[in-house]
Amino acid sequence: MSSIIEKPRFSCALAAQQTVLAIPGAAPIIHAGPGCASKASGFAGVQAGQQGEGYAGRTHVSCTNAGEKEVVFGGEKNLEELVSGALQVVKADLFVILSGCTAGIIGDDSAGVAGRFARNGDPVVGVDTAGFRGNNYFGHEVVVKAIIDQYVGKVEPSVEKGLVNLWASVPFQDAYWRGDLENLKGVLEKLGLKVNVLFGPSSEGVSEWKTIPNAQFNLLVGPWVGLSIVKHLEKKYGTPYFHYQTLPVGAQETSKFLREVGKFAGFDSEVVENVIKKEEKRFYDYFISFTDFVAEQRNILPYQLYVVGDSLYTSGITSYLTNELGFLPQGVYIIDDPSPEREEKIKAAFEESTENVGEIIRFEADGGLITRSIQEKIGASKKAIIFGSYWEKNISKETNNYFVNLSLPIATEIITSSSYAGYEGGLHLIEKIYSLAFNRGNLSSRTHVE
Amino acid sequence: MAQLRQIAIYGKGGIGKSTTTQNLTAGLVEKGQKVMVVGCDPKADSTRLLLGGLAQRTVLDTLREEGDDVDLDSILKEGFGGTRCVESGGPEPGVGCAGRGIITSIGLLEQLGAYTEDLDYVFYDVLGDVVCGGFAMPIREGKAQEIYIVASGEMMALYAANNISKGIARYAKTGGVRLGGIICNSRNVDRELDLLRAFSKELGTKLIYFVPRDNVVQHAEINKKTVIEYKPESNQAQEYRNLAEAVMNNTDLVIPNPMSQERLEEILSEFGLMADDYQI
Repeated sequence: MSSIIEKPRFSCALAAQQTVLAIPGAAPIIHAGPGCASKASGFAGVQAGQQGEGYAGRTHVSCTNAGEKEVVFGGEKNLEELVSGALQVVKADLFVILSGCTAGIIGDDSAGVAGRFARNGDPVVGVDTAGFRGNNYFGHEVVVKAIIDQYVGKVEPSVEKGLVNLWASVPFQDAYWRGDLENLKGVLEKLGLKVNVLFGPSSEGVSEWKTIPNAQFNLLVGPWVGLSIVKHLEKKYGTPYFHYQTLPVGAQETSKFLREVGKFAGFDSEVVENVIKKEEKRFYDYFISFTDFVAEQRNILPYQLYVVGDSLYTSGITSYLTNELGFLPQGVYIIDDPSPEREEKIKAAFEESTENVGEIIRFEADGGLITRSIQEKIGASKKAIIFGSYWEKNISKETNNYFVNLSLPIATEIITSSSYAGYEGGLHLIEKIYSLAFNRGNLSSRTHVE
Repeated sequence: MAQLRQIAIYGKGGIGKSTTTQNLTAGLVEKGQKVMVVGCDPKADSTRLLLGGLAQRTVLDTLREEGDDVDLDSILKEGFGGTRCVESGGPEPGVGCAGRGIITSIGLLEQLGAYTEDLDYVFYDVLGDVVCGGFAMPIREGKAQEIYIVASGEMMALYAANNISKGIARYAKTGGVRLGGIICNSRNVDRELDLLRAFSKELGTKLIYFVPRDNVVQHAEINKKTVIEYKPESNQAQEYRNLAEAVMNNTDLVIPNPMSQERLEEILSEFGLMADDYQI
């Protein structure tokens, strides 16, 4: 149920324009009042580690800027004019109309408008993303399903063995989405799979989307976002799906992930184990190399763990830091507002990867309440590390504790291909966490030169 | 001069709001009152009898075709006895938001200076099925301070009147709107007068006037005239004059006490509507 919250963590369904922008060659067309598209870009773009406008994003978004006239008389005519114009001046392979609250209230039919263009052979899809319908996790799912239904369409699948559609991060809402998809694609390819990542620089864009029906299976990584997509694909194309709840971060989780995916894909376990052996050797070679530093500096390094993020990332981070780096989880705050029924399943999945963590998990979308809870728990400790957003960065400043960006809003970091997913992500995270020790100004080391 | 009285007329669809409003207006102008009628119905037929036909361009049509630069003369026409007539109009069926259209229209009328100081009355004739907030606008925004509900002895008319009273009660607390009374537009239902009196009493208001049924109303409508203009000497013309008199003299403005469904049905039963032989 809706309520007033402090320090928001996510945006509204219209912010799924960012999902469209994440598809190479796709452009959003917004049917909403002035300001909506800009706000969405500001939150899930600028505040996601300065990820830029993209080709047709932020100030370049085509928008009806619907006003009172459109409310009274209906805005479909204006929308049609806008789409006609966009088709002429925006070079895109796919246009997705997303309509906002006012269009939703007065009943403008964006899918109907899109259909009129699609029947003429123009690649236009329409979807109702009125903000009151839900948040941008919901928006992401409805936009993806609309593209599947209206653009990929009714086709007879020609199943290609080894081809997998990967559904994981929500683009931009997970600021590390590009790196995550690349890292996961990388490890899955080592197993011998061919991976459609569908979003970001390592996707081939809309041509890749056309091959969605041909996948051997859909792979959903994460507790709940995207579940309706893979179920929809199962119903529509008969494609089975494998649901893996924890984002693999570090060696233990990634190896476990590869074993389970390999089994589902029908690979010989020896092939899978060989990949894992090679990857783990590399991982632990690097891992061992930084442990001298940890041993020397253990007195100033943090060990109390607070994680604030969506259910996808919090599970992987908590497991890796607890099981491989020896942190003690003190607070886990899940901010993506899953349904109450889903909460129990998420807790169970956490428990499976990290012992006794269930009791400290809190599902909370209100940043203000999270701040107060962490402040209370942290007390006078100087041995805490907080993974979270700009909202939590202030707590770490006030209490002189460690902080790593994980969830939106991220206002003080540039993010390009960074990711904490997979073996590579685990190593990257080590660098990130332990390098912070040098910023504290009290590091004394035989090997450290001021 | 007396203070401007802004009055909204509500009631079930088809009950005769527009007919009653226009005949009431004709009665008022005969008595020297200056009246403006604002039709708040996409059908745009609230001023037909005063203007002698659907000669009026609606505010929204004008806005749609000519843009924001609207001249007051193009939307305000003078009708019977100097009545000023405006039709809000609405979007095409099935698109847009007619409720918002009413808000836009009234806003535009204010902006263009339609509410002149010499006016004694402004009537808002609002479509029957108050489907969303926009149609409650004359009440909500405090435009109309006084509401009359047109009803009859038919069950659905009373259900609607009770529901409208709920809307009035809701906005009375913040906007200062009050119920002036119930106008019965008779359908010759058994014991109609008793029923309407009892219903009005239960609401905490009064039956301000009982307009009898008369075929001359139908004849006048076909001739695109109010009864007062069409047959000034008829009994029915006098009835409307009496209604105008009753409204003019009415100072009894109340916050209604809408009744529960059960209570409404009790009253209906008591006056025979719910008897065994009643059929819808």
